[in-house]
Amino acid sequence: MGTNSKLRGRTYLVYIGLGLGGVVAGLPFVWMLMASLMTRGETLRRVFAPESIQWANYLQAWHEADFGLYFENSLIVAAVQVVGTLFFSLLSAYPLARMEFRGRDTVFACILATLMIPETVTMVPNFLTIIWLHRTTPFAWLNSWPSLTIPFMASAFSIFLLRQFMRGVPNELWEAARIDGAGHVRFLFQIMLPLCRAPLLTVAMFTFIGSWNSLAWPLLVTNTPTWRPISVGLQQFVSEAGAEVHLQMAGAVIATFPVLLTYFLIQKEFTEGISMSGLKG
Amino acid sequence: MDTRTKDKIIAWGFLTPALVVLTAFGLFPIGYAFFVSLHNWRIKRESLVGFQHYGRALGDLQYVLCFALGIVLLWCVSRLRQFLKKRGYSSSLCHLSAVLYVPALWFLVNLGLDGMLETGDPRLYNGFKVTFFYALGTIPLQLGIALSLAYLLFKSLRGKSVFRVMFFLPYVTPVIASAVVFRTIFSPHPSSLANRFWELLGFEGQRWLYESRSIVAVMLQAAGLETYPSWVDSAFPSLALVSIVLYNIWVYVGYDTVILLAGLSSIPQHYYEAAEIDGANGWQVFRHVTLPLVSPTLFFLSMVAVIGTFKAFNHIYILRTPGARDSVDVLSVAIFDQIFEFHNAGYASAMAFVLFIAILAITFLQNRVLGKRVFYGD
Repeated sequence: MGTNSKLRGRTYLVYIGLGLGGVVAGLPFVWMLMASLMTRGETLRRVFAPESIQWANYLQAWHEADFGLYFENSLIVAAVQVVGTLFFSLLSAYPLARMEFRGRDTVFACILATLMIPETVTMVPNFLTIIWLHRTTPFAWLNSWPSLTIPFMASAFSIFLLRQFMRGVPNELWEAARIDGAGHVRFLFQIMLPLCRAPLLTVAMFTFIGSWNSLAWPLLVTNTPTWRPISVGLQQFVSEAGAEVHLQMAGAVIATFPVLLTYFLIQKEFTEGISMSGLKG
Repeated sequence: MDTRTKDKIIAWGFLTPALVVLTAFGLFPIGYAFFVSLHNWRIKRESLVGFQHYGRALGDLQYVLCFALGIVLLWCVSRLRQFLKKRGYSSSLCHLSAVLYVPALWFLVNLGLDGMLETGDPRLYNGFKVTFFYALGTIPLQLGIALSLAYLLFKSLRGKSVFRVMFFLPYVTPVIASAVVFRTIFSPHPSSLANRFWELLGFEGQRWLYESRSIVAVMLQAAGLETYPSWVDSAFPSLALVSIVLYNIWVYVGYDTVILLAGLSSIPQHYYEAAEIDGANGWQVFRHVTLPLVSPTLFFLSMVAVIGTFKAFNHIYILRTPGARDSVDVLSVAIFDQIFEFHNAGYASAMAFVLFIAILAITFLQNRVLGKRVFYGD
C-alpha cells in the first residue's frame, strides 16, 4: 500500500516535469496563433486571446508581402531538391552499404568529412562557382532554381542514414534475388526501395526542412523576386513592417503550415528514422 | 565481361552523380576558398595579395607566430608528461612537470593572443568570443535538459508518444518562422511575452533582443548599481545573446531527447536487473548504469552541437537587432556581412578559412579529451 502510493506520487511528479516541458515547447505556437488572429490594437495591449478572430490578417499578409509568389517558389524548389536528393542518395548509399569494391571505405570517409565543413566556409567559393557557371554555361543559374537546388542534392547526412539502414537488411534477400536472376539494379529498385520507406521519408523530411529554411544562400544567389523563397520573403517582411506584429505572425503561420502538415503525416517514420542516426553501426 | 568488373562499373556508376556534386560544392570549395583568400577579389579576381588578408584578420605575424609556438609547446609538454607516466617515473616528478605548462601558456596568451587581439580584426575576434559564449550557453544546458526529459519519458507511461511529438515540434518548425515568433516574444515592447512573464515575477521589463549590455551589467543595474567597470560588459554575454541561446535550447532539446531515447532503449535490460539485485537506488542506477551506457550518444550529440554552433546563421540573422550591436554576431554572421554588404570575397574567404581551421582544431581536441571518457561497452 505504502509503496504503491509512493509510486503514484512519483508518477505524478514525472507528469508534472514532462507537462512543464510540453508547455514551454508549445507556448510559442499558441502565442503565434493567438497574435496572428488579433487586431493591431490588441497586439499592443496585454491581452492573451483575440476578442474576435481576424481571419483577414492572413489574406492581408499574403497579399502585402507577395507571399503567393514566394510560397510557390519555395514549394517548387523544395520538391526539386527532395526528388534529387532521394535519387542521388539512394543510388550512392547502395554500393557503399552492399557492394565490395576497392576504395569504398575511403569514399565513404570523404563523404562523411564534408559533414564537418560549415556552410559559411563553402558559401563564398560556391557563390563564385555559380557566377562562373552562369557565365559559361547556356543555363541561367543566378536568379533561378538550379543554383537553389543542385548544390544541395548530394547530402552526406542522407547518404549516411540510408547506408546505415541498408546495411541492416538481411543478406538472404540478396541471395534469393540473385538466384532468381536479378542484378544489383533490379534488387535496388524492386526490393531495397520498398524496404527503405522509413529512412527515405526521413531524408525527404530533412531535405524539405533544410530547403524551406535556407536563407543565406538564397539571399546571395537571387536578387529579384522571381525565384526568391519564402524564407527571404518573410525575413524582408519582418525587417520592413516593424510594428505590425499580427501580420508578422500571420506570415509565420503561413510559412510553418506546409512543414508541420508534412511532419504530422509522416511523424512515425520520421522519429523512427531519426533515432537511427544517433546509433553506432 | 565477368561479374566483378560489371559490379565495379555499377558501383562507381551509382556513386558518380553524388560524388560529382559533393566534390564540386563540398570539397572543392575548401581549396578554392584558400585560393580566393590570397587575392583581392570582388566579383572577379583582381590582384594577388598573398597572406595580407590573414594578417588583417589575425594580427601581426610576430604575434601569430608566438601563438603557434605556444600551441606547439603545450603539445610538447603534454607528450612529455605522457612519456613520464608511461616510463613509471615517480608521481611527484609527473606533477612537477605540469609547471612547464606555465611558460607555454605565457607564450600563447601574453606574447601571442594579446598582440593578436590588438592588431587583428576586432570583428573576427568578437565573432570567436560570441561563438564561444553561444556554445557554452547552449550545449551543456540543452544536453542536460534533454537527458532528464529522455530519462523521464523512457519509463513507459501513458501518453509517451504525445509528449515525444510535442517536444519534437520546435525542431521541425521552420527556423525562419519560429525565429520571427521569438523576435516578438523577446521584443522590448511591454506587451511582449518575455516582459509579461518577467513582470509577473516582479522584475522590471527588459529590452531583451535589443540589449547589447551583458547580463551581469543588467543585473547590477537592476540591483541599483548605476556604475560598473567596463570589463563587466565585455566579459559576459549580452542579454540579446542570452535570448538567442534560450531560443536555440528551445529548438534543439526535442531533437536531443529523441536521439537520447533511442540510446536509452538500446541499453540491455539485464544491466538494470543486475543493479536492482545489488540493491542500487535510483540515482546510483542512473550514475553507474544509464550514464556510462548512454555516453556514446551524448558524445555524438555534443559533436553535432559544436559543429552546429559554428554553422548557426539563419536564426541569428533574423533575431539580430540594431540595438544588440555586434554582441550577437557569431563568426558566420560576420563572414556573411563581408560578402553580402561589403562584397569582399577575398577577405571573407580568409575569415572563413580561419574558422575552418578552428573547427578542425576543436573537433580534434574534443575527440581527444571527451572521446576517452566515452564508454563503448564490451
